[in-house]
Amino acid sequence: MKLNRRKFLSASSSALALAALPYGLGAGMHASAKTEDWSVMFQTALREKPWLSGYQSVASEQFNADATITGKWPAALLGTLYRNGPAQHEVGGFRYHHWFDGDGMMHAYHLSPNGVQHQAKIIETRKYQAEKRSGRAMYPTLGSVPPNPAAVTSPDVMNVANISVLPHHGKLMALWEAGSPWEIDPETLDAKGAYSFSDNTRGVPFSAHPRIEPDGTLWNFGYLSGANLLVLWHIDAKGKVIKMGKIMSDPISMPHDFVVTEKHIVIMMPPFNYSHPERPSAFLDSHDWHGDQASRILVVDKSDFSNYRWLELPSQWIFHYGNAWEDQNGVIYFDAARAKDPGIMTHGFRDIMKGIGLTEHVTQHYQYRLDTKKWTISEQPLMSAEIHSEFPVIDPRVSTKRYRRLVMMTSKHNNMPLHGQLNEVSRFDLDSGKLVSYRYPDTQIPEEHLFVPKPNSALETTGWIVGTAHDWHRQLTILNVFDVEALDAGPIATAKLPYAMPLGLHGKFVQH
Amino acid sequence: MRQLLQTTLLLIATIFASYLSAETLTVVIDNVETADGFVMLRILQGEAEFKGEREAITSIQQRAVEGSITFSVSNLPDGEYAIQVMHDRNGNGKLDSNFVGIPSEPWAFSNNATGNMGPPKWDEVKFALTGEATQSIHFNH
Repeated sequence: MKLNRRKFLSASSSALALAALPYGLGAGMHASAKTEDWSVMFQTALREKPWLSGYQSVASEQFNADATITGKWPAALLGTLYRNGPAQHEVGGFRYHHWFDGDGMMHAYHLSPNGVQHQAKIIETRKYQAEKRSGRAMYPTLGSVPPNPAAVTSPDVMNVANISVLPHHGKLMALWEAGSPWEIDPETLDAKGAYSFSDNTRGVPFSAHPRIEPDGTLWNFGYLSGANLLVLWHIDAKGKVIKMGKIMSDPISMPHDFVVTEKHIVIMMPPFNYSHPERPSAFLDSHDWHGDQASRILVVDKSDFSNYRWLELPSQWIFHYGNAWEDQNGVIYFDAARAKDPGIMTHGFRDIMKGIGLTEHVTQHYQYRLDTKKWTISEQPLMSAEIHSEFPVIDPRVSTKRYRRLVMMTSKHNNMPLHGQLNEVSRFDLDSGKLVSYRYPDTQIPEEHLFVPKPNSALETTGWIVGTAHDWHRQLTILNVFDVEALDAGPIATAKLPYAMPLGLHGKFVQH
Repeated sequence: MRQLLQTTLLLIATIFASYLSAETLTVVIDNVETADGFVMLRILQGEAEFKGEREAITSIQQRAVEGSITFSVSNLPDGEYAIQVMHDRNGNGKLDSNFVGIPSEPWAFSNNATGNMGPPKWDEVKFALTGEATQSIHFNH
């Protein structure tokens, strides 16, 4: 079996290069429709639990509005917050069975001296356009297989461009995890199509969390499950591909994020192993959790992708890392929101689509120490087990460098809100171990918040924390601004939209 | 290869000529997107040819035309076959693919088999030829 896969790869330049086709993404395309109607189940639950409104399918393809501002909006905070996330959760009456399945929507919050203007548009991918023409859900997604699914002949056929945002070399891209970046017009938010960094890399998977060095150098990975292959990207600040790499991983997992230091790339392969399904199932269900196996850690030399090593840690699941840096002795430090398993993804984000509330997302923030001279790795908690963390971010100017401050979303085990989701924005200072939080009202569900440094400020000091929240009680979305140094005092200003947007995933702030 | 592309409209291997029962296979591809380059058809006899372990005996190409294109192959003995079609848009004599092997030019197999992890299997692409037969094929883009 393994031999065959490798043989396909080695044969890829021959006339049978077709070998490498959908890499498992089409797995399950013969599955039949589920008999239960998730749309009805969700609507029924929504009447009892109005806070589920962030998981409704978006009502329109586009939105435009001027926000109403309260508080004192900082005059120096100028730019655009771009955000992405799954928004169209139902297609032709078929409600997706996973939160991550829905077609992406790009949001732009333009912050100018004239106020805050919001603009949003569904990302019209090839998949979206085909389904709009046919009026039905046609393609398998991460967690769903619609009735009579169409063939998936390349990853981009089912690309929903719904996870994150990449502003780079003057272009704006919406990122998915298993296909091409999708280019977006930064002014109109119109989708321009799959973006290729070069002819030879057309259609090569590009994950949703590229790491950008302060000079604009971009590093990323991609995975091709059916081929047991990891791909590495090295792109310069002008968008030119410097080099690419291929590394076999058997078994292969679904790594969502990774870290980069001055000299190394570190990718964790949790034991969520892909195997070709014997029976039709969605891509997510082609993975099995092996809690008794190690999480494998790949460490790659940035200057030579053929130079790499594998290390091991106890089994764990990680969506997101904050940052990483490497000292003069070759010791790498990085942090992550660590979970014991991917249960939130395999069950939680499915259940919520049929209106079953989220079970607590039990994570704990950890720091990792990886010695690249002795080739050892160890881990230790950064924060108490009572505090759950997610969406860790940094001052973007210290990306891949020594860092001392994280901003993240948190919740406290003994103080969970009714809606059961992360309900705080927090600042964590690594040197002192001090955690400062602002707790959102229970009527608001906050999304990822970003650290926006004040122009020309010293690294990781003065600036703002900027983030959105879905207010299920008033049915509207807000954009909050906090002073980094006085986060616990609450927002210094709020921009209120006249409508509620679905809960999304990741964003980037482009400062003017 | 270049020579091959520029010369004939039709090139059919004749090694089957000795068979007594010879049939005609018609292949219709109904979605050629552009008139660039050539449409290349290979008739594969047996799994070894399908896997590329042995060179396909029958290989035909036509100048691409937008829309529909038809191949007729006569003198095929009864037997089990598969078809591979590709649109060689840039005329370099091969199916271009990116550095991980994902094709960047249109391709298709008999029975419109697409596979769902790597290529389709022989069982999905093969068909029995026992008389006049037509395969209607759509390119995957």
